[in-house]
Amino acid sequence: MNQAPVVDVRSLHVRFGEVEAVAGIDLEAYAGQATALLGRNGAGKSTTMRVLAGVVPPTAGTVTVAGLDIRKDTLAVKQLSGYCPDVGGLVPRATPWEHLQLSAKLRRLSGWEDRARDLLERFELGDVMNRVTGGFSHGMGRRLSVVLAAMHDPQVLLLDEPFDGVDPIGVEATFEVIADARARGATILLSTHLRDLAVQACGTALVLRGGSRVASLDAEEMAGEEGARAYRALLD
Amino acid sequence: MPTALSSTDTSPTYRRAGHLAVARRAVTDAWILFQFRRQAVRRRHLARALVLVFLVVTLGAAIGPSFADGAHATGGKSFDVLLLIPTAMAGILLLNMASAVASGGGRELISRDQAAPFPISPTTDHLGALLLAPLNIAWMIQAWVLLGSVAYATPPHLLAQAQVATLLWLVFATTAAQVVAWSMESIRRGPFGIAITRSLLLCLGAAAALVQVTGRTTDVLDQVPTVWFFQHALAGWSWRWVEVVAVLVAVSVAAVVAGAVPTHVAAKRMPRDEARMETDQHAPRSLPSTVLGILVRTDRASVWRSVPMRRGVLVLAIGPGLVALFGDLQWGQMMILPGLVASGGALLFGVNAWCLDGRGALWRENLPAPATALFDARTLVLAEFLGVASLITVLVGALRAGIPDPEELAALVATLVVVTLQVVGAALRWSLKHPYPVDLRSARATPAPPAAMVGYSARLATCTTFTGMIFMGCANVPDWRLSLIVAMPCVLWSGTRLARTRHRWEDPVTRARVVSTVAA
Repeated sequence: MNQAPVVDVRSLHVRFGEVEAVAGIDLEAYAGQATALLGRNGAGKSTTMRVLAGVVPPTAGTVTVAGLDIRKDTLAVKQLSGYCPDVGGLVPRATPWEHLQLSAKLRRLSGWEDRARDLLERFELGDVMNRVTGGFSHGMGRRLSVVLAAMHDPQVLLLDEPFDGVDPIGVEATFEVIADARARGATILLSTHLRDLAVQACGTALVLRGGSRVASLDAEEMAGEEGARAYRALLD
Repeated sequence: MPTALSSTDTSPTYRRAGHLAVARRAVTDAWILFQFRRQAVRRRHLARALVLVFLVVTLGAAIGPSFADGAHATGGKSFDVLLLIPTAMAGILLLNMASAVASGGGRELISRDQAAPFPISPTTDHLGALLLAPLNIAWMIQAWVLLGSVAYATPPHLLAQAQVATLLWLVFATTAAQVVAWSMESIRRGPFGIAITRSLLLCLGAAAALVQVTGRTTDVLDQVPTVWFFQHALAGWSWRWVEVVAVLVAVSVAAVVAGAVPTHVAAKRMPRDEARMETDQHAPRSLPSTVLGILVRTDRASVWRSVPMRRGVLVLAIGPGLVALFGDLQWGQMMILPGLVASGGALLFGVNAWCLDGRGALWRENLPAPATALFDARTLVLAEFLGVASLITVLVGALRAGIPDPEELAALVATLVVVTLQVVGAALRWSLKHPYPVDLRSARATPAPPAAMVGYSARLATCTTFTGMIFMGCANVPDWRLSLIVAMPCVLWSGTRLARTRHRWEDPVTRARVVSTVAA
């Protein structure tokens, strides 16, 4: 690949006290590509996503996003990324529209309202845009998290378990968001346990185990029965 | 391998357990949950030290004042205290009721969501709330003041018997408050519940106002049934003393048992306040012009749309104000109120301020806003919350106090500023040091575990009461500038500590720890 990676992670380590959540991950992701992060629970997928979102600082290693060092230019990286966290991701007593307003104001967006309404409609959240999110079902919360991550057309889209508990309409809408992002040249990182959906949405897949990368392959190699066996073998 | 019943098999039948078996199981479950919570205490040595301090202070309060000058004299201050004890007993009962009603039945041994997968009965929940009720600095202070007053006013040869009866009164006040709280909660969750509850509270307020306005407060206080209890408690080793002990034990046990009934009724009904909050529609408003403005607006919504915070601040702001109003508190003594209210307000969410975002903390942390802006917004909203509550209390309490002197006014303003800054600073410092994953949906939720709440409340109460007393002294000096001069170093000290906490918040590693914890 001739182009420079948009997301470039070298020997990333993240420690929480005694626990090493990420133990030396290397990762490159390119513009216009969707990369799946696969692995068992505790493999380091969500922690890696949190580092890329600027939420958790790396303990060691280098992480650059669009050429910006995430340690030094954290705010700039946050400006050009959109993040759907693995858990919740919503302020419980704010409405979807208030979430969108907050994001738009902090990102200095203008004329964002039509795009926001369109996304809410696509994810079938238009009816509840003025209701506090504390009463949302898990699936509704996940769908809104994807809307919030995608609303400002980020250069790097980080989706952590976006399909978890989401109905087929929400899954399709998320696929559309990923396809749109790829079409406009964004870099997408998608963490999920649902291998089939990852294969459909992404071109590349990275398999993590015990905080390290154990394989990097074309998503097609993970497809079907054969792919399932290969994936299973990588997990043990 | 058999996989299903054949037509000749009889289906298994489940026999309902008897009432006694159910009660026994509920007691065991409450104990198991209590042990579970106890195991989760992080700093056990500190918890053990706290228990020891509690026992020593309780013993000290129950015996110490007996050796004070003027104790158990037949006249003077000791006799005045003796006359006031029945009123104090009734007051403790009322305060316990107000506190339990405001918190929707008392605190939870395990939160509703965490309890959902387990077979935990409402009776267990009721017993758990009873176990946790004394783990509250307000409860402890009331108990210590009552025990201390009895020790001061009672002759030494009657003290042991009187204190046994006093302890039993505290048990009864706690258990009876729980019955009232669950009954109110079951009414509130029923048809027209909110309207009925508000009407009841209005009627009670009107009755209290009527008694006060007609000048019959003393007559009413002389008629409170606690007089009978206290007279019998002072009867020494006699049948009268045995009678009061037996009555208090019997009514306490009856209250524990009776409390299970409304608890079951309430458990079968939807918590209306919470359901309404979670389905409320909020029409979009135009964007504020500044980043700080929108951050403040988001935080403000998180505070005022939360049931425990709305109820809590209402009780905190109005309750002490009404006590001051009916007690005819003068401006010179008003300085004690802001500290009390600000401390209580911080215990509603301030001591774990970052939990306001819940699981949204991860998403918020990804937004491109300077860390200091988030900190400033949270500080402003907390200060506003505490300041407004304190101001309401003072305004209600001062309705009968006339016009203050310049010295009193300056002392009050200085107290308001200093205690608000002290409490905000301490709360944000603790929020950074010990974050907890808490969902503040339920009226029964607290921002930190019970043991931590006791520690926080004790430290806040000590610090703010001390500050209030200093400014109470300043109000008596005929120069209004003294209060401002005294306030300056306090403001500088608290401001510096707050600035230091703000600087710590800028560290991404610290912030990541806080955000990951509250969003867990």
